[in-house]
Amino acid sequence: MAAGRTLHVRCPTWEQVEHFHSRKLRKGKLLSMKVPFPAAVGSAVTLGLELPNGVTIAIDGNVHKSSPIEGESGKTWIELELVGFTDEVIARIKAMAAGIEAPPEATPAPPKADTQPSRTASEELPVDERQLFGQLTTELRRMRQSAVHEVLGVKRDALPDEVRRAWLSLVRRLHPDLVARRKAPAITHLAEELTILANRAYDRLRAALVAETGALSVGSSVKAPPGWLVGFDDLASGERTPVPPIVTTPVAPPRRRSDVASIPPPMASASTAPLTTHGGETFETRAREMLGQGEADNAQEVLAAALVVYPRSRPLRSLYYVASAMAALGKGEVMLATSQLETALAHYEQCSEAARLLEHLRKEDPLDAEAMRRVFR
Amino acid sequence: MSRAIGIDLGTSNSVAAVIDADGAPRILTTAEGSTTLPSLVWFSPDGPIVGEPAREGLDQNPDLTIFGAKRLLGRRFDHPEIKKLARSLPYELIEAPNGDTWIALSAGKLVSPEEVCALILRELRRMAETKFGEPVNRAVITIPAWYDAGQRQATKDAAQIAGITVMRLLSEPTAAALGYGAHRGDDRKYLVCDLGGGTFDVAAVDVEGGTFEVLATTGDPFLGGDDIDRAVVENLVRDVRTSRGFDISTDSIAVERLRLAAQRVKHELSGTSGANVHVQELVQLPSGKGVEYGRAMRRDELELWSAPLMRRLEPPIKEALARCGRKKEDVQEVLLVGGMTRMPAVRREIGRVTGREPKEIANPEEVVAIGAALEVARLEGTIEGILLIDVVARGLMMSMGQSECETVIAQSAVVPTREHRVFATKLEDQVRIEFDIWEGESPEHGKNRHLGRYAVVDLPQASAGDALVMVEVTVDTDGTIRLGASELVSGDRLQLEQVFHAGLARADVARLARQLAEVS
Repeated sequence: MAAGRTLHVRCPTWEQVEHFHSRKLRKGKLLSMKVPFPAAVGSAVTLGLELPNGVTIAIDGNVHKSSPIEGESGKTWIELELVGFTDEVIARIKAMAAGIEAPPEATPAPPKADTQPSRTASEELPVDERQLFGQLTTELRRMRQSAVHEVLGVKRDALPDEVRRAWLSLVRRLHPDLVARRKAPAITHLAEELTILANRAYDRLRAALVAETGALSVGSSVKAPPGWLVGFDDLASGERTPVPPIVTTPVAPPRRRSDVASIPPPMASASTAPLTTHGGETFETRAREMLGQGEADNAQEVLAAALVVYPRSRPLRSLYYVASAMAALGKGEVMLATSQLETALAHYEQCSEAARLLEHLRKEDPLDAEAMRRVFR
Repeated sequence: MSRAIGIDLGTSNSVAAVIDADGAPRILTTAEGSTTLPSLVWFSPDGPIVGEPAREGLDQNPDLTIFGAKRLLGRRFDHPEIKKLARSLPYELIEAPNGDTWIALSAGKLVSPEEVCALILRELRRMAETKFGEPVNRAVITIPAWYDAGQRQATKDAAQIAGITVMRLLSEPTAAALGYGAHRGDDRKYLVCDLGGGTFDVAAVDVEGGTFEVLATTGDPFLGGDDIDRAVVENLVRDVRTSRGFDISTDSIAVERLRLAAQRVKHELSGTSGANVHVQELVQLPSGKGVEYGRAMRRDELELWSAPLMRRLEPPIKEALARCGRKKEDVQEVLLVGGMTRMPAVRREIGRVTGREPKEIANPEEVVAIGAALEVARLEGTIEGILLIDVVARGLMMSMGQSECETVIAQSAVVPTREHRVFATKLEDQVRIEFDIWEGESPEHGKNRHLGRYAVVDLPQASAGDALVMVEVTVDTDGTIRLGASELVSGDRLQLEQVFHAGLARADVARLARQLAEVS
């Protein structure tokens, strides 16, 4: 019937492309949208994704679900399965995104390791490597701020096979061995940092899957030690009571099917985990103060740093998205801000700031900057 | 640019290989024209002698001729297997101040296994330099997949002493599959069984679209051709006692001669069903007359004597399959690697346990070195489309004071990886926090291997609990560990001090490297 239909999706900024990929698509493939024509399940629809650099990428898709035509509008809700949205396509888009973005002014990848050569400024690299350097730096920055499933580009409830494939495609692209011949320590170092993030994400998701299903087919055999998934707070709390020494090893709370693959865990399990307030709240308070003074960027930095230490703190994560939303609002990007606030609530529904801000945005009742800041005081 | 080589540093034999310009692998030959260099070092009065010529040392000074040094690399002296080994070795083992195993030569001269391996590596390096006529100072070195971080570091230290920069430590099963050419064929699930001179390694290796992934590794680090030699020698010593009336069990020279003869016969019996053990002069009578020893040996005798060792092949294979959740039917190909797999009894036993005819490789001794050479080519960018994935063989744990060990990096985590722990100060203006790094999976200190004690020093002045120290543990692509520390609030890097550590100190490695470079 509607064979060969083409739909256009225009993304004028890279953030929207990212948003399209990470938020609009379910399971990385499924897109729900309204179309002005009747579409039969199974018919082919091509999606033309227009990127900010003017390039349009054709992505093949099939109609997966479709609902009856809505009244006189003549529009149909359909769910497209974008079979053509392969890892290669994603990689291509990422490469283009990275090529456009200027290398950040901030120093990239703080040299973590004692034996690593000190950071090499990108200017010291030959021209062809400088581009790669910029690309990897951008990617590293993005991945540092992502939850584990976002690092791998899979949905929270991804199946073992999807997790594995996503991870493989990532390391096949980023592994330091692949850039070893370039002899530029800075690039090898960046590649190593990226691979570390990818591997950690994979190991965490994998461990969760193994714990849940006993699945051993998820790559190398994992013997998840007790307490590994609980978080790091427990150790710090043990340290503060030096005598007597900790006798019981923290054991991961029993996980339900719905929450094993999702990190951070939902409140139900978080509350049974040895929760300590040590440190995490200090960061939260500082970030709120900054947001109260309109320093959204700084708040974001603080929260990103805090998340390195408390990767499982849902309040911190949601506050991070709130800060991101505030930054977006500062630039007048209401759409982006809305989605960031929605994300904040998805991470932690008790985040009152997100709820209040979102309420105002939805009512199209824009708050002035001062009113927004007051939300945090 | 200097050349790089692939090295299979074996327990009893080492092999070096390169990939020629035309893409064909080439095994480097020793001065004697052999493709394998015996991993032997004779600390003769005229200085160390390596390889084939050192065999003479086995005859002349068994207590100064070191074989199987790889077994001792990065091992604690109190390891029960080391204790067992110490009793049967002709040279003396001793406990180093930090608990490592060292070798006591004579007159108080001590050498570390790292130095012995360095001499072997330097010999391989010389072989390559002779062939190419240019300096060779980089290499990919293969190691058993189950090597823990301490053993990996020891291997790297040995290379550094020999003046070689390690491009990559490559796990032997991966190297074997790579050398076999698995990346060129279809995607397959391999089981690599590597029985060499001193170690038996089993690895489940998946090859999928050029990606090599070791799924599970197990092995018996104290099972190999040497053990079969020893079993044969024990029986021959008994035979000498009953047939000739001499007890030679305490005569290390006679035992060593018998061992060499037994080894020759063992090799022969892989192809024939009967052979002769012959020692020209086993012992000297007080009159100065030599006693000759000769005896016919059948293959079934050899198999009978080695049967207890053959039974030890099964558990690692089963454990490897269990650890990756596979049944033996899931394995699509069994690769046999290592010289000992030429022995029919070994092939039969592995065939029985895995339920399939193992794949015979034409050159089981060389395939690992070829894999290492291919890895060199890959890192230099001449081969593309291959990715090797390695995992942490043993978990890494951390503890402070008397507290229990807690896992930082889990066993089987994919490398490179990094985890961190946060410590808070307990006292006002505390300037130093000490912590221990362990290898293992147990919360009890005694059940894990102590890798080192480190101290974060020069902490900023703050009240108790306000200075937060983040210690980051990074396991790199080689499986060796790096540590870093920073103060969380300020983000400043902090100085880490080594209080105690296993293995050689960095300064010692550098000093030994200088010494060795001066001698040559």
